[in-house]
Amino acid sequence: MELVYSERLERKGLTELPDRELAIQARGGDMLSFETLVCRKTPAVVSLARRIVGNVEDARDVAQMVFLRVWKEIHRYDERYSLNTWLYRIATNLAIDFLRSARSREKAHGATLHLVREREESTAAGATRSAEDGELARLFEAVSGRLSEKQKAVFVLREMEDCDTKDIARILGCGESTVRNHLFNARRILRKEMVRLYPEFLRGRTPA
Amino acid sequence: MSPICSILRESFEDYLGDALPAPQRKMLREHLAACAECLGAAAAKDASFLFARPMPGEVAPDETARILLGVRAGVGHIETERRIGGARRRRFAGAAAAAAVALLVLTIPGGSDARREPGAAALPAPVPSPGTSAQAGSSFGLAPAGLAAEAALPSPGATVYDLNPGADRAEPRVVWIVDRGLDI
Repeated sequence: MELVYSERLERKGLTELPDRELAIQARGGDMLSFETLVCRKTPAVVSLARRIVGNVEDARDVAQMVFLRVWKEIHRYDERYSLNTWLYRIATNLAIDFLRSARSREKAHGATLHLVREREESTAAGATRSAEDGELARLFEAVSGRLSEKQKAVFVLREMEDCDTKDIARILGCGESTVRNHLFNARRILRKEMVRLYPEFLRGRTPA
Repeated sequence: MSPICSILRESFEDYLGDALPAPQRKMLREHLAACAECLGAAAAKDASFLFARPMPGEVAPDETARILLGVRAGVGHIETERRIGGARRRRFAGAAAAAAVALLVLTIPGGSDARREPGAAALPAPVPSPGTSAQAGSSFGLAPAGLAAEAALPSPGATVYDLNPGADRAEPRVVWIVDRGLDI
């Protein structure tokens, strides 16, 4: 008997296609191409969202919203531009919106959350003694609380995702000088917060 | 400390000022990820250097599958909404077209006896065009309420355009009648 159609084989073929091709096929309504794109981009989107919103659970929710927005707006995708820039733009904007609404919720329940945060910080301080990559991620979550949404997004995109300043400007819809300004201020705040919250960590890092 | 370490340490300032060209920037980042001594020196200069690297990805394959399931359900919802919205729009467009035709017919003088005020002088009887059926309900030959559209054809030469043939009975039927035999 001849195999006429196999979703598994078709999916396997799709995994070899570049992002742009998959996006064009998804724009034509091909669900399999879209799902392949979702699987391919999920780690990057969750990782970016996590840096901005601060925890994995919320980052997963943001990632789902990102891909649903992509499906809704796929007809607007222009294949002359990089898919990543477009995707990061959606992800960053949704993560910033999420963070804003979370912060306003936090203001509403300020007292309780403040106590929870203090406990989290003391836990993080304990963890930083043996800080390596995993701990650094948690450390960043702790010290980046004072950054504005835009400053945080710029820092994450530039330093962790290693995006170009020009791309970040396109992602956030602002000028390159604004990006540099946000980056400068983000560094200043992070420096202050590290000294305030984890002075022993920095002393440990200083070479003799 | 190797010679490369001392060369790269000189570029910390440019890195912080976002003034380092992309290749040197990449080289410095890779070096900091591998050389704890230089990372310490960089962090002493500016603590934000600690975060100047990709953080480990936390997405396990089963998490990706879970996200994909959620996305699939969401896409299904979006598509259902789109279909319902499209049917609603079509139904609305059909009703609007029918209303427009009815309005057009009623606003043309002599279009309907029913809209004439009581006591007003009766309009002269329409001049039947050759072949017009005497059974027609009005000067336009449109059927009075309750009659089937087919019975209302004003003249054998009239043309009926059915705008939504084959539409199910739940949708309003929209027809456009062109009767060149009418004398308006």
